[in-house]
Amino acid sequence: MNNIKNKINVSKKYDIKDNMKNNKKCNIKAALSLATSALLGTTVIVGNVAHAQDADEWQFETAFLLYSEADRVTAGEGIIAGTKTFDNDEILNLKLTVDALTGASANGAVVQPKAQTFTRPSGNGQYVTTEGETPLDDTFHDTRVQLNAQWTQPLADNITGSVGAHLSKEYDYLSLGLNGNLAYDFNKKNSTISMGLSHFQDTFTPEGGIPKPFSSMLVGDSSSVDWDAEFAKTRIGDSENKSTTDMLVGFTQVINRRMITAFNYSYSIVDGYLTDPFKVISVLDTEGLAQDYIYENRPDSRVKQSAFMQTKYHFDDSLFNTVADVSYRYMWDDWGINSHTIDTRFTIPVGKKSYIEPHIRYYQQGAADFYKPYIINEEFVDEQPITGFVSSDYRIGEMSAITIGAKYGVVLNGGNELSFRIEYYRQMPTNAGFTDPSALNRLDVYPVVEAVIAQVSYSF
Amino acid sequence: MKKKRSLKLTKQKDGYSVIFNAMASPCEVLIQTQNKPLVIKIAEMVSKEVWRIEDKYSRYDSLSVCSQINTSGGKKTIIDEETYLLLNFAEQCYQLSDGLFDITSGVLRKTWSFDGAFDKKTGECKNFPSLIDVKNFLSFVGWTRVNYDQKSITLPQGMELDFGGIGKEYAVDRSILLAKNLTNDPVLVNLGGDLAVTGPRNDNKSWQVAIEHPDCDSLGQQQDMIVALNQGALATSGDARRYLIKDGVRYGHVLNAKTGWPINHAPRSITTVAPQCIQAGILATLALLQGKHAEDFLTEQDITFWARR
Repeated sequence: MNNIKNKINVSKKYDIKDNMKNNKKCNIKAALSLATSALLGTTVIVGNVAHAQDADEWQFETAFLLYSEADRVTAGEGIIAGTKTFDNDEILNLKLTVDALTGASANGAVVQPKAQTFTRPSGNGQYVTTEGETPLDDTFHDTRVQLNAQWTQPLADNITGSVGAHLSKEYDYLSLGLNGNLAYDFNKKNSTISMGLSHFQDTFTPEGGIPKPFSSMLVGDSSSVDWDAEFAKTRIGDSENKSTTDMLVGFTQVINRRMITAFNYSYSIVDGYLTDPFKVISVLDTEGLAQDYIYENRPDSRVKQSAFMQTKYHFDDSLFNTVADVSYRYMWDDWGINSHTIDTRFTIPVGKKSYIEPHIRYYQQGAADFYKPYIINEEFVDEQPITGFVSSDYRIGEMSAITIGAKYGVVLNGGNELSFRIEYYRQMPTNAGFTDPSALNRLDVYPVVEAVIAQVSYSF
Repeated sequence: MKKKRSLKLTKQKDGYSVIFNAMASPCEVLIQTQNKPLVIKIAEMVSKEVWRIEDKYSRYDSLSVCSQINTSGGKKTIIDEETYLLLNFAEQCYQLSDGLFDITSGVLRKTWSFDGAFDKKTGECKNFPSLIDVKNFLSFVGWTRVNYDQKSITLPQGMELDFGGIGKEYAVDRSILLAKNLTNDPVLVNLGGDLAVTGPRNDNKSWQVAIEHPDCDSLGQQQDMIVALNQGALATSGDARRYLIKDGVRYGHVLNAKTGWPINHAPRSITTVAPQCIQAGILATLALLQGKHAEDFLTEQDITFWARR
C-alpha cells in the first residue's frame, strides 16, 4: 500500500487511512464528498443538499396512548394519521382518533368528616363516598371518535393556504368544526407570518338532562314512585349548544443555522352552555358540615387570550448535537383565570439512529372569579337562591401542575420511526384564599391528582 | 459492434427531450426551455461527452484507454490527468469499502455472465461457475497490486480494470457540469437510470422521476415509484436486468471482490440520493456490498434511499 500512498497528489492533502481510523462509519458520506470534489474539480457540497422524497406515497403516523390517574380516570387513545403530498406541493392530511375513558372524576363536592351520598348524573342510583375521601363520581365511561381532514396548498409564491374540517362524536357530545389558515414566507423563507381562524359548533346531550343551576341535587331512593317526577323538577332541558371561534396570529423566524423562534397570539370566544352539568358545590354550615349540594353555574360566554413564545436551538458537535426547546405561554380570560406554562425539552442523539428526550413542563394557574371550593350557607340571604356564577371544579381553581418525563425514539431501516414516551403528571390544587371552617381542618380539601402517561408512536 | 450514434429531439409541454444510446443504456436529457438552438447545443455537447467517456473507459471497446491498459501485458501505460483522477477515486472507494469494491474485479466477468441466459425448462442459469473457476479468476483480482501515479499505470499481466461501477455516474456528473456552464435553464441528465439535475424546475417545482421496480420483467407489469427530486442526483445499483438464478436462489451482479462470489442477502436493488451522481452510485454499491446490512449502512449514514428485497 505504501507506494501508492506516497505517490498520490490529491489537491486537498489528507490521509485517508487516518480518516478511516478515527470514525470510519460516520465519515463515509464526508469522505465520499471530498473524493467526488477531487474527481470533478468542484467545491465540496456538505450536508443534505440533495433533496428527494416519495412523491406519491402516503406517510403514516400512528400512536397509542394510555393515561392513568391514581384512583381516578384511565383513558386510552389510538391515533392514525396519513399524509399524502401531491404534485405542486399540495398536501392532504387525514386523521382518525379513538379514545375510551373510564374511572372516577371529582364531582365538585368537598371532603367531609362523615360519609356522603350522591345521586348519579342520570338520576338512576346513588353512590356513597366514605369519610375523609374526596367525592368522586365513577359513572364515567365513554368512547369518542374523532375525524380530522386538512388540505394545504401553495396559493402563490410564498403564500400557503390550508383548510380543514373536524368531527368529534361521543355518546352524549357532538362537535363539528372548520378551520382556515394563511401563511406568508419572506426573507428567503427565514420568516413566516400566519393567520388562522376556526369555528366549532358543539351539542351536548348529557345523561339525565341539563340541571337547573343552583337547584339541590335530589338524593334519596331512586326506585321510589315519585322519584322521576321530582328528578325532572331539577332539570331544565335535554341538551345545550356552544359555539367557539378561535383566531390565531403567528410569527416564526429562523435566527441562524442553529436557532429558530416562534411567537403567537390567540383570541378565542366561546358562547353557549359552558357549565359542567355533572358538577355540584357543597353548601356547608358555619362549622363546615354539608347541608346540601347544589348544581353549579358558569357564565354563558368566555373570552380567552394567550401569548406564546418558543425557541429551539441545535447545538454543535461540542455539545453532542443536542437540541433544546423552550417555550412559555401566558393565558388570561374574562373569568379571571390567568395561567403560565413553561415547557422544556432536550433532545440527545444516541448513536446515529436514536435519541432520548427528557421533558419538563410547569404550569400554574389562578382561580376563576366565581370559583369557590364550597359555599357557607350564611351566604344565602333570606332563602333566596344565590345569583351569579359559582363552580368548585378544581380545574378552574388555583393550582400548579408539573409534568416530568422522557421520550426515546429510534429510526428504523427505511426511515420509519418508533418512539416511546413515559411521563409523570402531578396536579396540585391550592387554596385560593379561603378560610376553611373547623370541620374541614384535618381533611385534604385540595387533593393532589397524579397520573402516569405512556405512549408508543410509529411512523411509516 | 457499435450502435449507430444519433440524437432524437422531441418537443414537450414546457421544454425538450433528447434521447440517444450510450453505455448500453437509453440516455435522456431534459431541458426546460423553449430555445431550440440552445437545446441542440446542449444535446450535442452532452452526448459528445458521454460518448467520449464511453470510448475512453469501456472495457468492451478494444480502442479504449481501458482496453489499452488491460492488454498492456504488465508493461507501463501512459495515462492522462482524467484517468489519474478516476484511479484516485477508485482507490478511495477501495478504502471506504474495506476492499469489497475493487475495479480490478472486472476479470471475474469471464466466469460470471449475468446475461440472464437460462435453461428454458428449469429457469435456472446455464453457465453457473464452479468454486474452482471462481478461485482461478480471483487470483487476478487485487487493487493493491496496481501501481500508478500521475503519469502512468502498471497493471500486472492477466489483471483487468473495469470502470463499469463508476463510468456512467461520472458521465452524468460531467454532463451536468457542462450543462450548467452553458445555461441556467433546468436540465436533467439520465443515463439508464442514473441521473442528476442542475437544480429544480422552473417555479421551484421538483422533477418527477420514476424508479423502475426490479420485478417488472417477470411480472410483465410496470410497477414504478415516483420520486420528487429538487436537486442533486439519484443512482440505482441492483440486479433488475443482470442476475442469475441457480437452485432457486437469485444472485445479483454485484460481486464481493474478496471472495469472487455475489454478495449474500443483498437487496435486489438500492436507489440512493446524493449531491452528485457518482456519490449516489458509490453509496448504492457500497450499501449492496454490505449484504443484509445494506439498509442499516445507509440509515447510519443518513442517506435517503429506497431498497427493494
